Amino acid sequence: MEEYVLVCEDSMEGILTGIYDAYQLKKERGIESHDSIHLAVKEPDTQRLFTQYEHIQTSSEKAGKVTDTMIRQLGNETWYRISMAMASCFEDKADAVYHTIVLGLRVQDRQITDRLQEACVQRTFKCARASENELCHMKQFLRFSELQNGMLYAKIDAKHHVLPFLMPHFADRLPADNFVIYDENTQTFGLHASYKNWYLMQGAALDEGSLVYSEDEAVYQELFKRFCDSIAIESRINPKLQMNMLPLRFRANMTEFQ
Amino acid sequence: MSLMNLNDQKSIHSNDERGVATANADVHIALHTTSAQTIMGKLAVLTDAAKYDVACTSSGIDRKGNGRDMGNCVAAGICHSFSADGRCISLLKILMSNECIYDCKYCINRRSNDVPRATFTPDEICELTMNFYRRNYIEGLFLSSGIINNPSYTMELIYQTLYKLRTVYRFHGYVHVKGIPGTDPVLIQQVGYLADRMSVNLELPTAESLEKLAPNKHRKTILTPMRQIQNGIAQGKQELALYRNAPSFVPAGQSTQMIIGATPESDYQIMSVAEGLYDKFGMKRVFYSAYVGVNEDKALPSVQTASPLLREHRLYQADWLLRFYHFRVEELLNEKHQNFNVLLDPKCDWALQHLEQFPVEINRAEYQMLLRVPGIGVKSAQRICKARKSGALNFDHLRKIGVVLKRALYFITCNGKMMYPTKLEENYITRNLLAEHEKLPFDKDGMTYRQLSLFDDAQENAALFGA
Repeated sequence: MEEYVLVCEDSMEGILTGIYDAYQLKKERGIESHDSIHLAVKEPDTQRLFTQYEHIQTSSEKAGKVTDTMIRQLGNETWYRISMAMASCFEDKADAVYHTIVLGLRVQDRQITDRLQEACVQRTFKCARASENELCHMKQFLRFSELQNGMLYAKIDAKHHVLPFLMPHFADRLPADNFVIYDENTQTFGLHASYKNWYLMQGAALDEGSLVYSEDEAVYQELFKRFCDSIAIESRINPKLQMNMLPLRFRANMTEFQ
Repeated sequence: MSLMNLNDQKSIHSNDERGVATANADVHIALHTTSAQTIMGKLAVLTDAAKYDVACTSSGIDRKGNGRDMGNCVAAGICHSFSADGRCISLLKILMSNECIYDCKYCINRRSNDVPRATFTPDEICELTMNFYRRNYIEGLFLSSGIINNPSYTMELIYQTLYKLRTVYRFHGYVHVKGIPGTDPVLIQQVGYLADRMSVNLELPTAESLEKLAPNKHRKTILTPMRQIQNGIAQGKQELALYRNAPSFVPAGQSTQMIIGATPESDYQIMSVAEGLYDKFGMKRVFYSAYVGVNEDKALPSVQTASPLLREHRLYQADWLLRFYHFRVEELLNEKHQNFNVLLDPKCDWALQHLEQFPVEINRAEYQMLLRVPGIGVKSAQRICKARKSGALNFDHLRKIGVVLKRALYFITCNGKMMYPTKLEENYITRNLLAEHEKLPFDKDGMTYRQLSLFDDAQENAALFGA
């Protein structure tokens, strides 16, 4: 049996376009089952026999159609879980999400992501859980510094592309502030202007050395370091526990460990 | 130190001088702020004095931002950092003052101790809170205090601070405040409308211990404000149901804490007290604080005595069982078994004493029974219940769902089969479970990591901690 692999761009739009095109491919070529179609976010290292590879051109129109259908038929909660899965860095995410959606639409189950005995749902669950954990960590450990013009700046290095989910959190709690969150890993900026909507920006470069911090910034950083030092109880010092709760990879961007 | 920097107002600097902050376009307040150096010193003293308070959670309430002021709240709470002792830093945990007229034997801030003393002004606290929050250092403020002059006077100062924080600085994030026993009830009421959570410390599990170690405190004066807060919360909920915009009273609920190991109570006594607090006082949380010796006193264990960390850990595990796993204290402990098993966690221990209730069939058992299986937590049990609606589960599914099979396998069947042929026999299972080495946040004898690493080499540590 012939197999098809659709290689799409590694973004939410890219994957959703891939899903649209997979349905179209199935219809056009009379393919019997979705099982013989797969999505990938990058060219495989070794190509398999009897497999057709096709590259997908990302289209926001197609992605929008898939999103609408999903929200209408599977509900907002499922849409959120699936978006989280797509934000993860796992290579099998596109295929997992695609087959979960196929299954969900076929059986018309708005709780499709609960069916953990299905292999594709399991994989989606694994991806979504990883992104959700990362999102939690970022809400915890992100640190803003104040620049001279009063703007807040934070740098993160997120394993999964959680910035789009992080922005609404901070926009809600700091509505009056101008702030920028820069994700080093995906080289994406999240921008929020005072009392305005937030948005993402890619393709810009930032020279960290050129940032000028406000006069008070050093004082507050020092105050917080003092606070963290004094709050620990000497007779309970336990670096291993601290390490479990706050892994080293986050500390590079955290005020109290600099 | 800068004053607040809200909305489009410019920040104002005032080093040892009077500055004027315009928090709100039409409100002008004169502030007197001290120099950065003084604040540093005060923060060190008043953090140090507050560190033995355990509750540092920011949970219990979901509150969206209002689109104008700084701050929101997340029901699950957010820990922003972890200090060197591995405890969570969620709130700016400080005392307003460590001056105190009381002389509680176990307390570092007692009147008879010669320690550096300091007192924050309301504005200093507000500025620290706003600036820390804005940088995502903290989730809000935890404010407690030593007793200045008398309880009502102190509570009044706390009230002024909160009032300023909420109405002048317009802080919309989380605030946890201590209720001071013996305070005028009117003040408790007023503070309750500004705070998200309030807590009155039970201090010690029994009235006798309290009398012995805290001669200025009385069980009755501690329970009175607790009851008042409980009633206030209940009444507030009722009002909120009637009028949508009724001010909320302590919306994130009430908590309390007690010191473990300074007095001779058994685990059974302690857990019974905790259960009573949950049942009769509607507590959201009871915290247990392993006694840390800071004062030499003949009524106390010696300062060298190690903190009973393992015991504290077991109490928290049992506390979890009460709150989320539908257990009752009598099921875990009784007059004959007054203390928890040192080697096994309370849930495993219970399961081994009740083997007649096992094995449990994963695809049919009730949620409450699934919760009682070692290796299945609340999340796993919920996932199992949802997933099995659309088809039977097997062991491989369970592993993916997050069940710890190496612990659960003795107690469950999937579709009538056990994972491996095992004996449902206490000694056999105990031996196997012990071989798995329970993950503890410290070593079994309660010694901490640092104490051990004093004598050691890397290999010995690796052997002890499996690192």
